[in-house]
Amino acid sequence: MTVSVLVVDDSPIARKMLRKALPVDWDITVQEACNGEEAMTHYRAGKVDVMFLDLTMPTMDGFEVLAALQKEDLNCFVIVVSADVQPQARERALGLGAIAFVAKPVNAESVRTVLREYGVLV
Amino acid sequence: MDENTDLKLLGFIVERLEVGILAIDPQFRVVLWNRFMETHSGRDLDSMRGQCLFESFPELPERWLRRKIESVFELGNYSFTSWEQRPYLFRFQHNRPITGGVDAMRQNCTFLPLRDASGVVRLVVLTLSDYTDTALIQQKLTAAMAVSDEERRKQRALLRRLQDAKAQLFQSEKLASIGQLAAGVAHEINNPVGFVTSNLGSLERYLIDLTTLIESYASHADQLPPAAAEAVRRQREKLDYDFIREDLGALIRESREGLDHIRRIILDLKDFTRVDQSGWQLADLEKAFDSTLNVVWNELKYKATIVKDYRHPPQVECIPGQINQVLMNLLVNAGHALGEKGEITLRTGPDPSEVTGAVAEVWVEVEDDGCGISVEHQKRIFDPFFTTKPVGQGTGLGLSVSYNIIRRHGGRIDVRSTVGVGTCFRLTLPVQRSEVADAVSESPDLAAEVTPEELLALEGPDGA
Amino acid sequence: MSTAGASPAPAGFAAAGSAAPASATTAPANLSEDQTAALQEIANIGMGQAGDSIARIWKQFVALSVPRIALVESGRIPTLIHHFVGDARVSAARQAFHGAMRGEVLVVIGRGNRDQLGELMGYDGQLDLGEEQEMLLDIANVLGGACIGGIARQLGADVGFSAPSLIGTDLDSHAVVRPEELCVSTALCVEVCFTIESNQLSAHLIALMPREELVNLAQLLDRFLCNL
Repeated sequence: MTVSVLVVDDSPIARKMLRKALPVDWDITVQEACNGEEAMTHYRAGKVDVMFLDLTMPTMDGFEVLAALQKEDLNCFVIVVSADVQPQARERALGLGAIAFVAKPVNAESVRTVLREYGVLV
Repeated sequence: MDENTDLKLLGFIVERLEVGILAIDPQFRVVLWNRFMETHSGRDLDSMRGQCLFESFPELPERWLRRKIESVFELGNYSFTSWEQRPYLFRFQHNRPITGGVDAMRQNCTFLPLRDASGVVRLVVLTLSDYTDTALIQQKLTAAMAVSDEERRKQRALLRRLQDAKAQLFQSEKLASIGQLAAGVAHEINNPVGFVTSNLGSLERYLIDLTTLIESYASHADQLPPAAAEAVRRQREKLDYDFIREDLGALIRESREGLDHIRRIILDLKDFTRVDQSGWQLADLEKAFDSTLNVVWNELKYKATIVKDYRHPPQVECIPGQINQVLMNLLVNAGHALGEKGEITLRTGPDPSEVTGAVAEVWVEVEDDGCGISVEHQKRIFDPFFTTKPVGQGTGLGLSVSYNIIRRHGGRIDVRSTVGVGTCFRLTLPVQRSEVADAVSESPDLAAEVTPEELLALEGPDGA
Repeated sequence: MSTAGASPAPAGFAAAGSAAPASATTAPANLSEDQTAALQEIANIGMGQAGDSIARIWKQFVALSVPRIALVESGRIPTLIHHFVGDARVSAARQAFHGAMRGEVLVVIGRGNRDQLGELMGYDGQLDLGEEQEMLLDIANVLGGACIGGIARQLGADVGFSAPSLIGTDLDSHAVVRPEELCVSTALCVEVCFTIESNQLSAHLIALMPREELVNLAQLLDRFLCNL
């Protein structure tokens, strides 16, 4: 089954880096959003299975997206991708329902490990 | 060079460099300790190897230094200390056993992280450079700068004083030249006034003669033919001869009074400026009061009632021209203090009959019932340029010039004043010129060294 | 996407979070749009690592701002610093970095509870002036090393640091940099702000690189972009 992936980050470079870190053997379609609002629009359209979510963004940051998703049943896997790697940020993200927390800069290995851990990827 | 030679060379450099080099592991145990450290600490590498740094050197600031080294292990970044904030880490003797100047070697330290192949920091290398010489130079520089700052401050103060003195000099020169000008003018006026007075005398005599002649004609008028007699009578009526004859006397009298007044003013001006007799001489201060009063009368006559309370003290030895300047200043100030209308009292003393023995000091007072001077301003009125008058009305130099004149006379000038009640200035002058006065007047430096405030403080607000 | 950042930015300045308009209007002459975007993301990541480092050594949670990047004329640097820091009295230190990237880091620290921070850094009791200065230099060193070091690591560049030096304690924020002291006409400015929330201490880090140095930086960024 083709998995629908949404990459949410305000930085085009960061989106590019993340797409490059995604496993090549993974059957996916990838969409991009550059802020929280766009991400929610994609989610509400019902086309997101896995969301890679940045925390600091200008309009509607990652924490706000997580809170909104929780209200709307959180029907997707959210993996937070963040430059702020302090334990507090990690705990807060996981507390709001993210399944995993990946530190920037991302690399293929860390993304694969996380996906395997949660059974998204076999 | 092969690798072995390279290593030997590096080892030699580390060992012999005139910089302290030591390395410690994450447990703060010494791994490396070069000759500089051996020499200055008195402990060799063998006795230090494997030892905890803080156990070997309990004088090190352990809590802070542990944090600092831990952060180098943790972050892998360089870290530093500077002698300016932290004079030294290790208390070593400095390299100036003879010329000294500091208590211990000043040190700049660098903490270098040493990573292994995987990027983990395994050792922290501490280098320690001797900055004692720099610190000493800095110390000297700081001291020299403090000295030069102090000198600059003194120069500024001197310059200020010089400017004040210059302004005072300018003001007294201005007053003196006004006096000279006035005396010159008085002299010039004196001559015409002289011949006008003399001519007026002749004119009066001639007029008496002429009227006598006319009277004698008139007594023979009845002998004229009736037509001629009638013509003369009509002419006499037309010209109002009787009035002319009456008025002539009054005109002459008033003119003579006017001339007398002019002569008195000229005399007072001469007396006031004393251009003819400068220098020290005996003078009657009451006369000085009167002649000065005449000079400034024009300024006072519409608003001031003058009350004189003279007790006829003895004459004093003084430079009358200068004393007159002071009195004029006090009178003008009193006039300004009055506002619309008021009273100025001129007082002299002491009354010789009330003093036993010889009178040593004479005083004069100028008292007004004007606006008064606040306590705060009283401390400053003798400062050059201090003025409460609107801009343009006073230079603020008058009282400070007066102050210096009286000081050069070995005298005092005191003020007592109550706001809304009035002000009284009292000048006290020694009857005989004193040696102190000479010393003060001949040594401007000495005169400048004591400020008016200091003197006021010494003598108290009431002076005498 | 909008340029609206957390605080109003002076003209010619954009938050790193809003890459497109920033590069459209303010991309430095010597840095392309892609290069600027890359630098912003790299600064963002370097910042996060720096924050994490501080959190680990001082055991404090650090709030991080979005990095801001601009090419500025040196005459405007004092105004810019005032804009970042505000009217408060500040302490400041500078540190030079050299190697594949060359420039200076200014660290400007507001008041806040210094004694408490001093305690965390191993000082005893109330800080005297020397200790306060030393602490300021240490903070500048740690922040400068973490941020610039983080950026350099991502770019694969080798960067060294000189010992930090004091600009002053208790300064007016306008007085941190005097225009007459500056020897470059234009500089690339990267600003980030760390706030240690437990003692209301915030530190602004402003990295300045002379425009001439941008050639090297541009090459490093290109290499980074190629590897994407």
